[in-house]
Amino acid sequence: MRRQSMSKALVRRETISGYLFLLPSLIFFVGFVVYPMIMCVYTSFFDATMGKDRQDIFIGLQNYKDLFKDPAFLKALKNTLVIVIVSVPVTCAFSLWVSSAIYKMRGPIRSAFRCIFYLPVVTGSVAVTVVWKWMYNNYYGIFNYVGKGLGLIEKNINWLGDERFALGCIILILLTTSVGQPIVLYVSALGNVDHSLVEASQVDGANDMQVFWRIKWPQIMPTTLYILVITTINSFQCFALIQLLTSGGPNHSTDTIMYYIYYQAFKLYHYGYGNAMGVILAIIIAIFSAVQFKLAKADTSY
Amino acid sequence: MSEVIIKGLKKVYEGGVTAVHDVNLDIADKEFIVLVGPSGCGKSTTLRMVAGLEDITDGELYIDGKLCNNVEPKDRDIAMVFQSYALYPHMTVYDNMAFALKLKKVPKPEIDKKVREVAEILDITQYLDRKPKALSGGQRQRVAIGRAMVRDPKVFLMDEPLSNLDAKLRNQMRAEIIKLRSRINTTFMYVTHDQTEAMTLGDRIVIMKDGFVNQIGTPGEVFDKPVNLFVAGFIGMPVMNFFDNCKLVLDGGVYYAEIRGARFKLDEFQQKALKQNNQQSCDIVAGIRPQHISVGQGDLEAKIVVNEMMGSEVHLHADSNGDEVVMVIPTVDLKTDVSMGATVKFTTQPKLIQLFDKASGNNLIWYDKASADACAPVCKNYIF
Ligand SMILES: Nc1ncnc2c1ncn2[C@@H]1O[C@H](COP(=O)(O)OP(=O)(O)OP(=O)(O)O)[C@@H](O)[C@H]1O
Ligand SMILES: [Mg+2]
Repeated sequence: MRRQSMSKALVRRETISGYLFLLPSLIFFVGFVVYPMIMCVYTSFFDATMGKDRQDIFIGLQNYKDLFKDPAFLKALKNTLVIVIVSVPVTCAFSLWVSSAIYKMRGPIRSAFRCIFYLPVVTGSVAVTVVWKWMYNNYYGIFNYVGKGLGLIEKNINWLGDERFALGCIILILLTTSVGQPIVLYVSALGNVDHSLVEASQVDGANDMQVFWRIKWPQIMPTTLYILVITTINSFQCFALIQLLTSGGPNHSTDTIMYYIYYQAFKLYHYGYGNAMGVILAIIIAIFSAVQFKLAKADTSY
Repeated sequence: MSEVIIKGLKKVYEGGVTAVHDVNLDIADKEFIVLVGPSGCGKSTTLRMVAGLEDITDGELYIDGKLCNNVEPKDRDIAMVFQSYALYPHMTVYDNMAFALKLKKVPKPEIDKKVREVAEILDITQYLDRKPKALSGGQRQRVAIGRAMVRDPKVFLMDEPLSNLDAKLRNQMRAEIIKLRSRINTTFMYVTHDQTEAMTLGDRIVIMKDGFVNQIGTPGEVFDKPVNLFVAGFIGMPVMNFFDNCKLVLDGGVYYAEIRGARFKLDEFQQKALKQNNQQSCDIVAGIRPQHISVGQGDLEAKIVVNEMMGSEVHLHADSNGDEVVMVIPTVDLKTDVSMGATVKFTTQPKLIQLFDKASGNNLIWYDKASADACAPVCKNYIF
């Protein structure tokens, strides 16, 4: 009896000290994640404007109804989806390809490659973007220079100012900044594949391709899943690039939801309207991630 | 037909470690060869070179008459059972076993038939739908063997397949492998560092040390005719007793072994072999197996230190003037007092004494195998 009551007291004390340890990060989490999230959902039902003296008016689902009638939003949605649909598979495939080529190399060489691909990730995105802005420049950009030099284009193209090219250019930059992490992850995942499995399959008669797709690929599936989810989220949230390069132009052709939220909420002070978009974006990302988990889980369950 | 011929095989690893110096081995079709030796002697490396998983630094490897040095593992038609089993974790037992056949594009019904047949033999039919994770060690072991069995390979390689099992399972699986062997008619190369496995499984045993082959022979041969001190000490349980600083004496055309003052007139075949080698008197290390010692009489004396009753036999650890002597005496023959602290006389038969040259450690009789074989009939009556 005594023992039991003792241990109960002990458990309680441990629980309390456990929560105390959690407290600092809990405060931050609640203050900067949970509360804003709730506020976001809450204000999305209001005609909120962030103004001091104006009264927010409850308007129910009106913001959401307006959203789907707003051609700019629909365009932003479309652009975002294009970015995701292009950049996620390309990022995954490219980083898998690079990693499988470099993971067997000797230490220093492998590190060098990892470094190169990881550089854009650690370099501030503003710096990267500014460099790209130069390269895309209408008058003195290297793309026009090389393109003309090789005879590929006849006259200078205003890459970022032309509706036909702007989104593609953005995606290209996005790719360079988003392959770094997957490559590092894939290199270590491939290095961790149990080598005796590879040997067993070779003895079983598998060629290099079969070894890769039948043995290694299933083994690195959890990493692939993780990469898919993070690149999807990153692509959906593409914002800084747009903000710095095109501000959504020309003619909303590079608007993404993320940018349009910023535009509506902080430029036009349509705070409630922007938050409604945020809710929609969150829901879309959640759906995408869930689907990816579902699909990949079917393959990884061992 | 799938004999394996290994000529002067050598392996130097990237860091400069020479794991295998010079291995020569002719493995006959359907022979069961066991590679045995202490840890790090290059057994696995040799096996992996045969499998094609390691490059061959030097030497030649012929499988089925074909030079295979530069043939990819997938084209060698070999099957291998790994120590860690290396079962594909994402596949069911069935798919694990079917994998090689699927790659070979064997028709589905045929694969199914083969897999079920092998599963039946190995008694794993009820686990076919499971993933390897959901199996016990022994079951995984069977699956690993099954995966190799479905293929009818030219050569069946096994690298310490039983070392991850507990003692009881190991005995059981060893018996299964013996049974299995009669079912699958292929050449086997089996690596182990357990001499019981080596002795019970092998048609011939290859005893390796530091990248060299020390002796190749049937279990009986390596037990009865060890070519050097290393083999003599490695094979046999308990370990052979070695008496250092003994003498081989040639006296009036007759050879004697002098062990601690006791003189043993050597047997006829020993006389013949030594004479043929024109052996002179010399310092030797004399080896006597614990099983070959009899107590109660004789010129040697020892004080019993430990007495281990094993049932049908008793193991005695004794001190003979500073030499540690182990004796294995059948209990039925025991008429002497062998309790701890007792002093006993003991002796052995001269023909059972192994004579090792003190300088080289080589067996004076058996080292030069060609001449030894000519002189003596195999001492079949020893043991084995
Ligand atoms: N990949 C490698 N690179 C460098 N040296 C190696 C490598 N693999 C093995 N060796 C060395 O080669 C020698 C032989 O190794 P091997 O694995 O063949 O021994 P083994 O006889 O199988 O031993 P065990 O009974 O412990 O499995 C050892 O000294 C080992 O350190
Ligand atoms: Mg080994």
